Amino acid sequence: MSSKPWYSGERGVTQLASAIGAAVADVQRMRRAWHWDSPRPHSWPERGAVVPPAAHDLGWARQEPVRTIRYLIQQGLEPVTEVMAHPKVEGREWVKELDRPVIFAANHSSHSDTALILHALTDEARDRTVIAAAADYWYKRPLMGNIVSLFLNTFPFSRTGGAQGQLHASSTLLKSGWNLVLFPEGSRSPDGTIREFKPGVGHLANETRTPVVPVHIRGSQRIMPKGQKVPLPAPARVRIGKPMAPQKNEGSREFTARVESAVRALAREPRQPELQGSWIERWRASKPRELVYGED
Amino acid sequence: MNRPGAVIEVDRNTPPTLFHFGEGVRLEKLPLGSRIVYPPDPMEPITHPERAVKRALARPLEDDPLKSLLRRGMKLTIAFDDLSLPLPPMAAPDVRQLVLEEVVDMAAEAGVEDIHLIAALGLHRRMTPDEVRHIVGERIFSTFWPDRLYQHDGEDPEGNVYIGKTAHAEEVTLNRRAAESDLVIYVNLTLVPMDGGHKSMATGLASYRGIRANHNVKTLMGSKSYMNPVDSALHHSCIRQGQIIEDTVRVFHIETTVNNHAFPSIASFMQKRETDWTAQDQAMFLALKQATDLAPPAFKRNVFHALRAPYGLTGVHAGQVDAVHEKTLDAVRKQISVEVEGQTDIVTMGVPYLGPYNINAPMNPVLVVCMGAGYLFNLYRGKPVLRQGGVLIFAHPCRYEFDAVQHPSYIDFYDEVLADTTDPTEIEKRYELRFAEDPWFRQLYRKSNAYHGAHPFYAWYWAAYAMDYAGDIIVVGGDREVVHRLGFKAASTLEDALEMAEQTVGRHPSITHLRVPPIMLCDVQ
Repeated sequence: MSSKPWYSGERGVTQLASAIGAAVADVQRMRRAWHWDSPRPHSWPERGAVVPPAAHDLGWARQEPVRTIRYLIQQGLEPVTEVMAHPKVEGREWVKELDRPVIFAANHSSHSDTALILHALTDEARDRTVIAAAADYWYKRPLMGNIVSLFLNTFPFSRTGGAQGQLHASSTLLKSGWNLVLFPEGSRSPDGTIREFKPGVGHLANETRTPVVPVHIRGSQRIMPKGQKVPLPAPARVRIGKPMAPQKNEGSREFTARVESAVRALAREPRQPELQGSWIERWRASKPRELVYGED
Repeated sequence: MNRPGAVIEVDRNTPPTLFHFGEGVRLEKLPLGSRIVYPPDPMEPITHPERAVKRALARPLEDDPLKSLLRRGMKLTIAFDDLSLPLPPMAAPDVRQLVLEEVVDMAAEAGVEDIHLIAALGLHRRMTPDEVRHIVGERIFSTFWPDRLYQHDGEDPEGNVYIGKTAHAEEVTLNRRAAESDLVIYVNLTLVPMDGGHKSMATGLASYRGIRANHNVKTLMGSKSYMNPVDSALHHSCIRQGQIIEDTVRVFHIETTVNNHAFPSIASFMQKRETDWTAQDQAMFLALKQATDLAPPAFKRNVFHALRAPYGLTGVHAGQVDAVHEKTLDAVRKQISVEVEGQTDIVTMGVPYLGPYNINAPMNPVLVVCMGAGYLFNLYRGKPVLRQGGVLIFAHPCRYEFDAVQHPSYIDFYDEVLADTTDPTEIEKRYELRFAEDPWFRQLYRKSNAYHGAHPFYAWYWAAYAMDYAGDIIVVGGDREVVHRLGFKAASTLEDALEMAEQTVGRHPSITHLRVPPIMLCDVQ
């Protein structure tokens, strides 16, 4: 303990003031050095792989009262989706009453895809669904990451590496009963065509023994194509296929290819009984749950 | 126990009477001594409709249980009535949805893969997807629309087949899918005795060629009335056609009946007799009257067409067509019959905003005639309430107002045909075929939501008997020019109309007012 008196300028209020001053100076310095207010210098080398925070870091987004708040926000946004896209949903019966978590694998050509998928789900399924969002895009800025997590229940998903870490985070969510929405193409298609699926979806399904629900979205590219900031109204259709499970001895890449061809087939007209199920399967899947009351 | 229908004589204490007036309402004071015929109150609906449907399918009339008719590998077609019934459209769930879901459940259980559901439109307009969804329910719609749930196309040369000729040389055609099926299940909703029976398939799944066999002036003039199939040449013809259909394909018929609870609680005063109106009913009437007097027609139409009727299921029967229809007619008559003593010199009625052919559209002048002189006049059994040569007075604004999407052929019919003649026989001879074969009307019927080119002719023929039978027809409150084009007389007020009628039927005529809707059937003694 220093024996200097309080008026020496090194104790008490003056000490606190100088500490604050120093911290501010440090922040100012870093701001300038790391170009907080200006673009990243071109001369700097490319960033390395982003290692996203573990999913539980955003666990608050999947707890009450955030879930209720998100439900209210999404209900409020539903009419907007309806007006903007007037979405036609086919195959909703497959996601009406899911008895176990699933992975939704959809084609991706627009930011509006997420809203359309959520619109296509029932309230129950939507409440239990997490969206895999590109960590290097949505979570580059923490504030943005937290906002999308609140609105859409997203979690950061690395597109560039850390496969084991991703698998762990995703499988934790699946095991906790959350459905997962993945866009296996990795990023938005610039022209609306379906591009090759990355094998992650097959890998995840294989490792966690989780069924994959193929989803095809048509029309979203006209609402908000890549590079466009403001959405424009255009009709969209979401077609949901029958859940697919990896077969015995089927490799991740083979299963991914099967999922990809299922999504491509869903894009074609008319209905695809082998993918969307026979009418009998769909009819049974859409049967309302009978209420069973316990005895008093 | 529901209160039966009644005939009330107007005295000094009788309150003014409600007249429907298109998309509006009026109160009219009828002369002392006039009669007002009220329909019976709605019957109690069946408490558990699903159970009733299951029971009917398990114990059909003169047929095997439906379950035993369904097998894996068969070709099954389910046809159902379109949105022209009931009126107003029923609040969800529609009874057809309940029946269809049960039938589809059974088909799924039996493993019937090849199943099609067809809306039996006949020559009516195609429904919008939302209208189809309203009838069949979300579950069936999302499972089958649009490849296995679709609408009959009476002009599709590939989709219809000629299946024979009756002993009276009436040609019979049938939807190809139905004709080639192992089993056709028909799901009907019967509101009035005119509906259902063999008529369902003979017209609902037929082409113009089959329908014109009985939708013609001669047959309709011989139908006295459409609401009494025993005395209806139209129904005799349909029965003959139905027998040919039954020789072609195995048919399992399901018919449902509903009570006459036609108006939701917000408009319950329309359902009640004026003497039963509570303070709330009176307030509602006043509010509606003021609103409909002031509001523009399009706004009123949107409000009225949004009304959904809280009909309740009163019966469901399944099995062989004739056996089922007999039971259905009993159930319908039980709900809507009113005994009326003797005929009358003048019949008055208010024509409402809605008829079978203008769901979500204005009632154009041709349809006003079809509704007033066709349907409402024919709500009798035995003989008409109006005496031969009497005067028919109905209230309707009767504006020159057409829906270009639903009724394109009606516009030409009004502008071209009625400008030339109003005589149904002349019209049939000179114009019908041209309209029926017009490629543009055919295209609109097949691809848009338009009635067939021949449909306005049928609407006109529907009124042929009344036009011939009545000494005069007067329209109260109608646009004078339009009413004259229709061949009728126009009056500004009911008093004027009665005064004009006296020139035809003489001084001190007997007057009867039919308080429809709700629907009733006058058993004239």
